[in-house]
This record gives sequence, structure tokens and C-alpha cells, in this order.
Amino acid sequence: MKVTYKTIGILVVASFVVGIGAAELSGLWKTESTKEPVTIKEGEFAGMPNPSDIRGSYTWSDVAKAFGFDVNLALKAFGASDPLVKVNTLESIYEGASLPEGAEIGTDSVRLFVSLLTGLPHTSEESTILPFSAIEVLRAEGKASSDLIEEAAGRAYKPGAAGEAATAAPAASVADSAADARPAAVVSSIAPAAAKTTATAEPAAAQAVTTPVPSSSVAQASTTTTVHTPSPTKTGVEGTGEGAAPGTITGKTTFKEIKAWGLSEEQIKSVTGGEIGNDIAAIRDWVVSKGLSFSEIKAKLQEMLDAR
Amino acid sequence: MKVKTARLGKKGSRKARRIVQIVFFIIVAVTATGGALKEKGITIPIIPEASLHSICPFGGVVSIWQFLNVGTMVKKVHESSFVLAGIALVLALLFGPVICGWVCPFGTFQEWLAALGRKIFRKKYNTFMPAKLDKVLRYLRYLVLAWVSYMTVVTGKLVFQDYDPYFTLFNLWTGEVAITGYIALALVIVLSLFVERPFCKYACPYGAVLGVFNLFRIFGIKRNAPTCISCKACDKACPMNIKVSASKVVRNHQCISCLECTSEAACPVPATVEMLALPGQVKDTFGQKSTKSDSKAIGGDK
Repeated sequence: MKVTYKTIGILVVASFVVGIGAAELSGLWKTESTKEPVTIKEGEFAGMPNPSDIRGSYTWSDVAKAFGFDVNLALKAFGASDPLVKVNTLESIYEGASLPEGAEIGTDSVRLFVSLLTGLPHTSEESTILPFSAIEVLRAEGKASSDLIEEAAGRAYKPGAAGEAATAAPAASVADSAADARPAAVVSSIAPAAAKTTATAEPAAAQAVTTPVPSSSVAQASTTTTVHTPSPTKTGVEGTGEGAAPGTITGKTTFKEIKAWGLSEEQIKSVTGGEIGNDIAAIRDWVVSKGLSFSEIKAKLQEMLDAR
Repeated sequence: MKVKTARLGKKGSRKARRIVQIVFFIIVAVTATGGALKEKGITIPIIPEASLHSICPFGGVVSIWQFLNVGTMVKKVHESSFVLAGIALVLALLFGPVICGWVCPFGTFQEWLAALGRKIFRKKYNTFMPAKLDKVLRYLRYLVLAWVSYMTVVTGKLVFQDYDPYFTLFNLWTGEVAITGYIALALVIVLSLFVERPFCKYACPYGAVLGVFNLFRIFGIKRNAPTCISCKACDKACPMNIKVSASKVVRNHQCISCLECTSEAACPVPATVEMLALPGQVKDTFGQKSTKSDSKAIGGDK
């Protein structure tokens, strides 16, 4: 059997038409995600939707529908108004806000919020925090333990001077502990949990929150709590700049520091798109000024450092 | 007069491939543009909307591991990629990498640049690469494939996007392209003026996957030695620089099934180079068993 140009041309086109047509008819032709997160495979929550699979391309409406809660709760929590807007817009919304160093409000914040609201497990990123409006919603509606909600509250972002003071306390207390003698105890109690904030089914994280820290009085009340609690893990807000654990990138980490930790200029450029800031510039500030996503750049650089 | 008619006939045959290539190029360009516009909140009626990733069969290939182990796709890849990968697989089993030679819009793009290169360098075009270096570089795409597959499995992300000139070409205006993507595209454009299909030859990870099917495809390129006049027109016509004139059966891993070497196109002698069924083991089409040197697998018939 001889195969000619005409034969192949017809067969190729027919294969695509028939193949795609058949896939459409059988419901297999999907060029977008279904906006339905995967289900949890094992354990107490098997069969339930997994908050960790919430994607940035989901709208508020998609998230609420997938996890069965009123979309207005999410809108109120994050100060959004349009339920059809994608959740990945959060990062740009909070980009200009004076968040604690190394902290971020983005898609992972939505995962954390949903986890605390529904009581389903999720391990959030070290740098993830919630806006204070989300804490208010969680206090009223959250199914997770109050310990975990209050732990998130201790790190929440509250716009305005008072709120920011409260929010920044954990980070500031470590970075400036030597200077102003503020106790690091608050950080100790929060830091381990912050490293692995898990709503449920994560005993290690639950144990880490030995004493719930009321969010409104983080700076003051903390002196009496868990002073001797060790901080077993590094967190995104724990150490920053020169006070940070070597090898851990935070919001204050400079280009000079990551070079000192072993990354070459070429490696950094490969992540930042061919450019690099001054040695003394904080990576986060430089990245934001270039309109790039700090979380993505940070993750890539951290990956390189961890691989060393 | 007869010669003139035969030439016209050949042009007509070749046109079939050009038309199919243009159709797929337009479909991909329009669909990817529609998808990117949708991301920006702009919807144009009639225009299909899908991201480039969702209509790329390679996404299906790199998602297999994650799908089998976790039940999810790699980020940005959707079920449609599996469907397309399935179609490509069936076609490759039958005819080899026809996706490369007939469908891939980036291959088409490189061929358009090759036409320009041919005008500039005429007969010298596609002969610049030193043979030794070329031979080694032909295996580079397998390294790229290994790296992309490993990194995709580890990260669950489409790591190749930042280096993919194909993605860059169709997303130039979207702001989603990394600087490395622009560099890769610029490099391919420049190289295409000297070498035909440089990305396909040296770096395409999906071409590497499909190329393996050349070793056991059902229909393949055969040369009828008794009627061959050894004019080497087939060699000159091959965009992948395969020495068809030295083979009885082309099993080269780089063949893209474009049929440019066949008697329908370059070969001046009828029924001398054709795509025919290759039942069972590699045999000579015309009754003689092929010698070992005739049917060497990867690179054997170069």
C-alpha cells in the first residue's frame, strides 16, 4: 500500500477532526480546568475537596461552589466585590499594602481561608497570611479549631497603623529583638505553626500552637506565653535580612546575601529575567518594582539554594 | 512537455502538505490568541478560546506521570492535551512523526524561514553545520526531553514554557513570556536562516518523543535500489539532512514524514522513493532483505 501526500493530508486532518469530535461528544475535550479541586484521597476527610488544589484561575464563585459555602463570605473576607473575578488577582491587590516582611496575601491565602472555614486540611506556605477581614469571618463562621484561627489571626494583616503594628509584631520582634529587647516569645509560639499552618490532621502543627495568642494583643500578651517554646522551623516572617537563617529568603533578603549563600549572578538572572538589582537592594523590593511576582521569584531562588 | 507536466504534478502534491500546515498554523494562532484575550477579559465571538498549552500534545506527554500517580494534570495542561497526544501517538505508530512534518506550527514557521535562507544562500543553505558537531547535537533533544520530563515531574509545572520558542511565538504580546523564551525564539529565527528546522533537529523534546516511532512505524520511506539513479535529489530535499540515497528503508530517528524525498516530490524516477507499509521487521520493499547498514536505527542511514 502506497501512501501519498494526499493520503497523509486527508488522514491527518481526519484524525484530528474525528478524534477531537469524538472527545467532545464523550466529554473528554476540556481546554479549561473544571474548577473542581481534586478530592482528598485518604484519612478522615477522604472524598472531600482539597483546599490545596485551589488554583489562581478559580473565581471566588468557583471556590465557594466547590467547597459549599456562601460566596459572600469569601468576598467579605478578602475585600472583593465581584464573585466572577479570579482569586489570583489578590497578589496584585495587596502588592502595594505594607505587609509584614516576607509575608504575602495571594492564592495560598484563599486556600488557608477555605481550610480554616471548612475545617479541611491544608498546609500553607510559610509566607502566607490572611487579611484581618478574613479573620473576622473565620471567627464567626470557621469550622477549624479556634486555636488555629487565632494563630492565623496573630499573623493577619490589618490595614492602618494599629493593625499593622499588631501584624508586624511577629516579624519585627525577631528582627529587632536585639535592638528593642521585645521578647521573641511571641514569635516562638507562632513561628512553628506559621511554618506549617494546617487546619486539621496535622498534629505537629497543632502542637506547635501551645497557647493561642489573641490577635488583638499579640505584642502585649505574648510575653506571658510560651517563652521557652523552641522554634523548630524557619518561617517566612521569622527572620529577615541579616537576622534571617542563612539560606532562607525573606522579604528583607538582599542580592548580596543570596550571592554569599552561593548563588551566582547568572543563576539569579536566570530567575529574574536577565536583570539583577544592586547588591544592597532587598530582592522583594526590586522584584516588585519590576512588576514581577515575588512569590514566584522567591520560590525559584529558594529552590536553587535548597538544591545546593 | 511530459517533464513539465510531471513537475507541475509534483508541485500539486507538495501543495497538499503546505495547505495542511497553513491550516493548522492558523487554527493554533487564532485559538491561542483567543485564549490569551480571554485571560485579559476580552471575548471575541466565533473565535475559539483555549490556551496554547491546552492544544499542545506535549502537555499530555509530560502530564502522564502526574496523572497516573496523583490523578491531576500538570498546571495549565488540560484533558484536551491527552486527546491530542493520543491522536499524535496513533499517527506516529502508523506514519512516524507526521505531527512534526505536517501539523506543528513551529515546524511550519521554521520552514518559512528556511525559504528565506534558501533565497539568501541558495545551494549552500542547510549545509553549514559541521558533520561531526551535527551528529552529536542531534541527540541533544533527548537530553532536553529528559530534563523537561524530570523537572515537570518534580515541580508539577510546565518548566519548559520559559525556554520554549514555540510558546514565545504565539504569546509574544501577552506579557507571559520569560526573557529566556525571547532569546530562544531569536536564536531559532537566526539559525533557521542557515539550517533547516534547527529547533526540531537539536532541541525539540516532543520531536524526540515522536522521533523514536521512526524505529517501528508501520508505514515508512523505502528506496527502490534497482531503479535509483543515485542523483541524490532525495538527500538534497530532506529538511533533516537524512541520506535517503544510502538507505533502502529510512529508519532515521529524525525523519519527519514530510515526503519531500519521495518520487511524488524530489525523486525524479517514478516509484523509486515511496512511503509504503513496513510489515514486521525491516525488509527491502522489492523482495531483497535489507542489509544491516541499510537499516541501521538511530542515525544509521545518515
